[in-house]
Amino acid sequence: MSVSRGPSTAPYLDLYARRGGEAEVLRTRRQEAIERFEAAGFPTVRDEEWRQTNLGSLLRAAPGAASARTIQDRELAPFLYADCPRMVFVNGRYAPEASSPPRQVEAVALAELGAGGAAEAVVEHLGASVNGSASCSADAGVHPFAALNTGLFEDGAAIVIPDGAIVEQPLQVLWLSSPAAGAQAARGKAPAAVEVSFPRLLVIAGENSQASVIETFAAADPGAGGYFVCPAAEFVCGAGSVLHHTRLQADATDAFHLGFQHAQLERSASFDSSSLAFGGGLVRNDTMGLLDGEGSHCTLDGLYVVAGSQFVDNHMRVEHRQPHTTSHQLYKGVLDDRARSVFNGRIYVHQAAQKTDAKQTNRNLLLSKSALANSNPQLEIFADDVRCTHGSTIGRLDEDALFYLRARGIGREQAHGMLVYAFARELVEKASFEPLRQDLEERLLASLNGGGDG
Amino acid sequence: MLRVRDLHARVEQQEILKGVDLEVKAGEVHAVMGPNGSGKSTLAQVLAGREDYDVTAGSLELFGEDLAEMAPEERAHAGLFLAFQYPVEIPGVGNSYFLKAALNAIRKARGENELDAMDFLQLLRERAELVAVDEALLRRPVNEGFSGGEKKRNEILQMAVLEPRLAVLDETDSGLDIDALKTVAAGVNALRSEDRAFVVITHYQRLLNYIVPDHVHVLLDGRIVRSGGSELALELEEKGYAGLTNGSSGG
Ligand SMILES: Nc1ncnc2c1ncn2[C@@H]1O[C@H](COP(=O)(O)OP(=O)(O)O)[C@@H](O)[C@H]1O
Ligand SMILES: [Mg+2]
Repeated sequence: MSVSRGPSTAPYLDLYARRGGEAEVLRTRRQEAIERFEAAGFPTVRDEEWRQTNLGSLLRAAPGAASARTIQDRELAPFLYADCPRMVFVNGRYAPEASSPPRQVEAVALAELGAGGAAEAVVEHLGASVNGSASCSADAGVHPFAALNTGLFEDGAAIVIPDGAIVEQPLQVLWLSSPAAGAQAARGKAPAAVEVSFPRLLVIAGENSQASVIETFAAADPGAGGYFVCPAAEFVCGAGSVLHHTRLQADATDAFHLGFQHAQLERSASFDSSSLAFGGGLVRNDTMGLLDGEGSHCTLDGLYVVAGSQFVDNHMRVEHRQPHTTSHQLYKGVLDDRARSVFNGRIYVHQAAQKTDAKQTNRNLLLSKSALANSNPQLEIFADDVRCTHGSTIGRLDEDALFYLRARGIGREQAHGMLVYAFARELVEKASFEPLRQDLEERLLASLNGGGDG
Repeated sequence: MLRVRDLHARVEQQEILKGVDLEVKAGEVHAVMGPNGSGKSTLAQVLAGREDYDVTAGSLELFGEDLAEMAPEERAHAGLFLAFQYPVEIPGVGNSYFLKAALNAIRKARGENELDAMDFLQLLRERAELVAVDEALLRRPVNEGFSGGEKKRNEILQMAVLEPRLAVLDETDSGLDIDALKTVAAGVNALRSEDRAFVVITHYQRLLNYIVPDHVHVLLDGRIVRSGGSELALELEEKGYAGLTNGSSGG
């Protein structure tokens, strides 16, 4: 009876029907979400918000739940930071043996969520960004992949930072993908089947708490083939809390990565997030910041360094709903070969949000003639006493600078690398946790030296 | 050391150098003078290997090697240095990091061991003092926001650190006050030696009071129209460039 609009949701609904057991307390929440997903359907390029993101090859592949796998320490080592408390997930499932949860905060695996304790807060907030209670304004609609994740996540991490807690050491959440051998498509071909996992994160920062969370998305073996990772993360920032978040995405270059992030801020809360994307073949991140409390502030920064035929799309939506709220966005992209990027930055200032200060910048550096960057700022302002600025640039390496460096004896490749590094460094050096900063620096340098496939 | 023969070069389809001959031997200082637009910077950039300048005829030889096939960095490795008329600002690249990368790239290309951070810093401090470059400039991005004079001093600092065999200074004196001019000259004079040579491109005779050249050449409309000893600079100062097209006294 339904009008066919876009790709069939049936294979994914089938995953829902066949899913394993789940925490009783979450059952209704998931049911609601999957119904919303079913009603919304998959987006197509005819949807304004998805105009530049073609999901065809992903949605033609038959999805299968990523299989359970035990992981060796040596497979984890490249992604972990020494001395960091951590929660490790492999193919979306919690790996307790590889994890060492922190003491100061409650960190629980969602599949093991019982009653009482953190559970109450988790149940209150999990999925609030999808079921309407804390979602963006009505016109933003339901995010289909956030809803899908809510219906289908196998497991996830809930981190509850108590009121007033000052947590020094960052907490790392590692989402490792390890598709079963043989799942990969021939290079450059669309896969017939794809293993999918739905990482789920909920961080609840108590009033006046301070903490840092590092999320890492990676492939255990980047050569083992493609997969589909569809993460959703929610950050509930209590009054006066300060939450730092880093999202390092180093998935396999033939992986699909469709992520959703949602931060909701109470009075005087501060949320500072950096999203660094090096991997993935088709990458889309939808990031939302909801400034729901007077005097709250969010920083949403990002860096994407892509080559070959990688595609990365960042859709930002920041809503100023209360007075004296500030938001800063700085996204920088480095694109080589035939890589493409989209940056869509929407800032929505509600009528009540007087004295809003919003700033958005997107800068792109194209290293090849066939690389392509799109940048679309969208300001919707309904208050009169605000300051909103935006700017975007798409440029190439400065030939004069390149010649200057070479004339001093620095070889072409190294000179190239120095200039690209110079362009991107502020986003890497922003990381205050030294092992993270070093890791990001190494990844950036590695992606500059012989990243692309020509 | 440097042998330029009948050099013709084009920039964007326009012939700028129309047959330049120049020979520089070890130990010599040559001055190239000429009015604005005569092709002095074009000559300097062609020597350094700028790729968008087309050499259409003639030959360039440095230290006995044909320059035609050498990349800019290879010319630097061989010992060529160009102090740019307009030093380039490079945001995000630290000045001292840049100089260390340059020095070590050159040392590596020559099969010498690279300097570690400590040894480099010591060398850098010493040379910075020699050419009166404020240490604060070393920590800033290359040339970014430097004043005109600071940029020129920074070029001379680079020269002092890299110790080239042939240095081409393109109007390093323009825009400098007399004190800065003296420091720049002192930097050059400190490096003068029997196995080094300099080509000093300048617009004014002033610099040549401090760096006394062995030979002076006048470049006019893409050709060297006259060459002589240091007295030629004084003559130019008196008479100007007009009427110099004849009477080449060889070089
Ligand atoms: N990049 C360029 N593009 C076009 N014309 C140029 C370029 N560089 C130099 N020229 C032209 O070449 C001529 C010589 O310039 P230049 O070598 O800079 O002279 P000088 O250094 O003696 O003042 C001038 O007419 C100048 O306009
Ligand atoms: Mg000039």
